[in-house]
Amino acid sequence: MAAPVVELSGLSVALPAGAERPLAVEDVSFTVEAGEILCVVGESGSGKSMIAHAIMGLLPAPHVRVSGGQARLQGEDLLAMSPRRQRAVRGTGMGMIFQEPMTSLNPLMRVGDQIDETLRLHTPLSPRERVERVIELLDDVGLPNPRELRRSYPFSLSGGQRQRVMIAIALAVEPALLIADEPTTALDVTTQKQILDLIAAMQKRSGMGVIFITHDFGVVAEIADSVAVMQDGRCVEYGSAEQVLNKPRHAYTRELIRAVPHDIIYRPDFDPGAEPGILQAEGVRKVFHVGGGMFRKGRELVAADDVSLDIHRGETVGVVGESGSGKSTLGRCIVGLHRADGGQILFRDHDLARLSRRQFRPIRRHVQMVFQDPYASLNPRYRVADIIAQGPVAFGTPRAEARARAEELLELVGLDASAARRYPHQFSGGQRQRISIARALALDPDLLIADEPVSALDVSVQTQVLRLLDEIRRRLGLAMLFITHDLRVAAQVCDRIAVMKEGRIVELGTCREVFGAPKHEYTRTLLDAIPGKDWEIRPETWDDPDPDTPAR
Amino acid sequence: MNREFWSAFASNRGAVIGLVFLVLIIIVAASAHLIYPVSPWSMGNPPFQPPLAGGPFLGTDTLGRDVAAGVVHGARVSLLIGLVSSLAALLIGVTLGAVAGYFGGWVDDAIMRFTELFQTIPNFVLAVVLVAIFTPSIGSLVAAIAIVSWPPLARLTRGEFLSLRSREFVLAAVTTGQSTPHIILREILPNSLSPIIVAASLTVATAILLESALSFLGLGDPNVMSWGYQIGAARTVIRQAWWMSFFPGIAILITVLAINLVGEGLNDALNPKLARKGRG
Repeated sequence: MAAPVVELSGLSVALPAGAERPLAVEDVSFTVEAGEILCVVGESGSGKSMIAHAIMGLLPAPHVRVSGGQARLQGEDLLAMSPRRQRAVRGTGMGMIFQEPMTSLNPLMRVGDQIDETLRLHTPLSPRERVERVIELLDDVGLPNPRELRRSYPFSLSGGQRQRVMIAIALAVEPALLIADEPTTALDVTTQKQILDLIAAMQKRSGMGVIFITHDFGVVAEIADSVAVMQDGRCVEYGSAEQVLNKPRHAYTRELIRAVPHDIIYRPDFDPGAEPGILQAEGVRKVFHVGGGMFRKGRELVAADDVSLDIHRGETVGVVGESGSGKSTLGRCIVGLHRADGGQILFRDHDLARLSRRQFRPIRRHVQMVFQDPYASLNPRYRVADIIAQGPVAFGTPRAEARARAEELLELVGLDASAARRYPHQFSGGQRQRISIARALALDPDLLIADEPVSALDVSVQTQVLRLLDEIRRRLGLAMLFITHDLRVAAQVCDRIAVMKEGRIVELGTCREVFGAPKHEYTRTLLDAIPGKDWEIRPETWDDPDPDTPAR
Repeated sequence: MNREFWSAFASNRGAVIGLVFLVLIIIVAASAHLIYPVSPWSMGNPPFQPPLAGGPFLGTDTLGRDVAAGVVHGARVSLLIGLVSSLAALLIGVTLGAVAGYFGGWVDDAIMRFTELFQTIPNFVLAVVLVAIFTPSIGSLVAAIAIVSWPPLARLTRGEFLSLRSREFVLAAVTTGQSTPHIILREILPNSLSPIIVAASLTVATAILLESALSFLGLGDPNVMSWGYQIGAARTVIRQAWWMSFFPGIAILITVLAINLVGEGLNDALNPKLARKGRG
């Protein structure tokens, strides 16, 4: 039998002194046979990307280096080879796709030339043959009009198309191994599904081995043959997809799988009663003017068009859509960061769409927002207490009182009151999101707008934050507008769901209606694109009770 | 933060040397009246005495004035004008840049066109014209230098504000009802300060050069001794008496170099993301 495509034995990668742990990757072993897809799963900081970089020889030497173990590609030692040989192997033996399709292509080179570059360096083909091959490759990865598309620049392609070009580059010389580092994380669900299908199809056709790095168990369920679960640099569980997904053994794997938003629990239908909605939006329209200047007219971009919805006290309304669907614009119009161009947004007897920034100010305390990126939403120069207290102080609460209240709020969101004296950078992403929620609650709002509050977080943290939001909403009787791109997440917290596409709401209904009997074609496409939807998670069928190490 | 700042600053050896020189120059400038109690204008010596020839340490100029006394007293003027005019430029530049960057739209357009108006006229020519109109004095020198040096600071500040104003912590400040001045001064400005401080330190060096150049052309304040004036006065005899222009020239060189080195060190210390990469 031929040597496996990749064989790692006891691979360790050392981090420079002073890093949070001495080894980024510790004693990891696995093999990938030809025609096998291995998924390496883990949360951020688990060292999963480091493995890929070690195999590709992309570690940022000399700070980070392989400190032990072996990595073999088709029997050849990758770590001992000369730089020249390494370069040759990188071109012909293995290819890599990166996470960010926006930045992994050279913006100044035509896409055809970028594919051609690999062919020129690593194959003996003549220029004419190479052109034919480029067209063939573009066709293979499912891009339309490969002959013309070859001549276009990356900026004119969408994210999914760019990722297809990346795949074409990686596959140009038919490598034995393809490493995909979170290739679909930056993409919309429907695009993600297409890319996953494409990778699976290409892999089946050429019989290469694939190492697929991801944080999403849904994606794993979709394509994996075998799975390696990483935690803090160690591989805690390694086995066939069947075994790891359905009979996980390690406590950490079980915790991760439990955290996957899976079964759609239909909550009892929300009963608004006779009361009218606390917020009633009707025919909201927002147009952005892109480009243009003093003498030039720019383009117009309709971000929201004729959007109508209402939210009742105690209700959570989800707004689901892909990027560019206008879901964030809607949230920002309501919270007063943008001013709607048309329609009306009724809230507390005011039409928010008509208020100037000054007139809006007294209302701000009743509508608060939780932002997406916990790393960007807290001012790095202030202590947590001051960040939370800033709202009440602006509305005239004495500073000392506002700070005391900040400590109470920190406890409410599950942090220690002592956190008040620290700076944002001393907290993890999940903790920062809790601080962000505390800040929004400091003004005792009636309506909370949550703009993708969990999409930047790891799954296990995601569940905690979602649970917190739900609990707070229930305890304080808030109305909440929950904006997300992830239907699975929306299903966990929302009473009603509005599906947005290209600035319009295409479907609005209770969770049960939208998931059980979707009316609109687009909703069905979205539901169909959810990765791992056929995978049933049934913790009750897991063999023995949890091993002695309890989950955190 | 302070300890980190100093260790990052100290890791750039040039910056430390620059800082040492700068401190020395400041000490000399501050104690000029102790080192040379006699006025630098006093013509108490024979003219054209070369340095180390028994007379004054660095020789005398065409009118018998002590060159060393001129250099020491000139340090005061140079540093004073450099610092004050940079502060004034900073005030104008940061204010306009912040307003333009934060409000955007037509405000931005108007302010930036106004800035370009200044940038299209050569710096030095504008400074000469301004000083000539206002008659040379310390005040008019400072004003002229400030007026020609604020545009780059305004552009820099505007750029920082443009990128920061759509950051989520700024949006959060808006949604929690902060007033606009509060958002500009307390939320955005502290986060955009590092590159501004670095640019301002380099502005000081340019200002000193500008002052020297103006004095060289005879547009300096006639009542104060300055390096540029010394060089200007000695330029006609540069082939017979090199020392008269050489020592003030060296003083300008060292001061400007020291400030530039310190500016670079500040850059390393305040923008660690950019600086640490190559150095490790």
